[in-house]
Amino acid sequence: MWMMTQHIGEARIKVPDRIRRGDLITVNSIVSHPMDTGFFRDAEGDPIPAYFIKQVVVTYGGEEVARFEWTSGISRDPVVSFTLKAEREAPLTMVWSDNKGATFKQSINISFVPS
Amino acid sequence: MSFPNEPARRAFLRSCALAAAGLVAASGASERLVAASRFWPGPEDPEVPNEEVARILQQLSGGRPIRRAHVDLDMPAVAEDGRVVPVIIESDLPMTAQYHVKGVHLIVDHNPDAHLAAFHLTPALGKVFISTRIKMKRTTWVRAILETNRGEVWAGYTRVLVTLNGCG
Repeated sequence: MWMMTQHIGEARIKVPDRIRRGDLITVNSIVSHPMDTGFFRDAEGDPIPAYFIKQVVVTYGGEEVARFEWTSGISRDPVVSFTLKAEREAPLTMVWSDNKGATFKQSINISFVPS
Repeated sequence: MSFPNEPARRAFLRSCALAAAGLVAASGASERLVAASRFWPGPEDPEVPNEEVARILQQLSGGRPIRRAHVDLDMPAVAEDGRVVPVIIESDLPMTAQYHVKGVHLIVDHNPDAHLAAFHLTPALGKVFISTRIKMKRTTWVRAILETNRGEVWAGYTRVLVTLNGCG
């Protein structure tokens, strides 16, 4: 499965193989992250502190097109899919930020096939 | 991650859920489950929001009317594992510079953090479509609240039966 990831912050973005100018495409993404709520305890009975992605910023050709604000209520290894109007050939970039200050970045190039 | 025959898939899943509800009722399982099954496919209106959810709704709407239309909140009727519950939010509202949805808020009534996520959108997305996976503590109403750039507030509600607590 394309979405399997291993290390915290490892991220994938998937877009259709063949995109024509003007297509409404679906962008699928995943980032590997525990998304700990802070409500659980480990095997020794110590609380596991909250550790989760709190923000995702999506830019397309340098322009911010979406911004997501999350809590630890998003499932482990967060997936999010959304649509994008493929108007120009440019990189699509996603930056995930967690509550401990780490950021994880992934990009994919939107390029067109001849129509 | 698209399904070629989406309506048929959803109809099939719905019929599976109803069949499961029937089995539970017929087998004389615990009273709690039988009582819960009366909610299938769910009452038309969500129960009165609890204090926390009422506060969130007031904060999001700023007192503007929240009208129940234009929002398709697609979730399973039954979530066997509350740790991973799929959510799809769609809308028929346009995404143009003149008129678009600028915010989508996901609220799960009885979760510890009821205001689970906010999605800030722009017309560049071309359509209101968000798909993700969330955690649910127990059976409750889920609300998707959409805010347009003109200040209208639209809502969609669905009730999800959760059999395994996903929040601890």
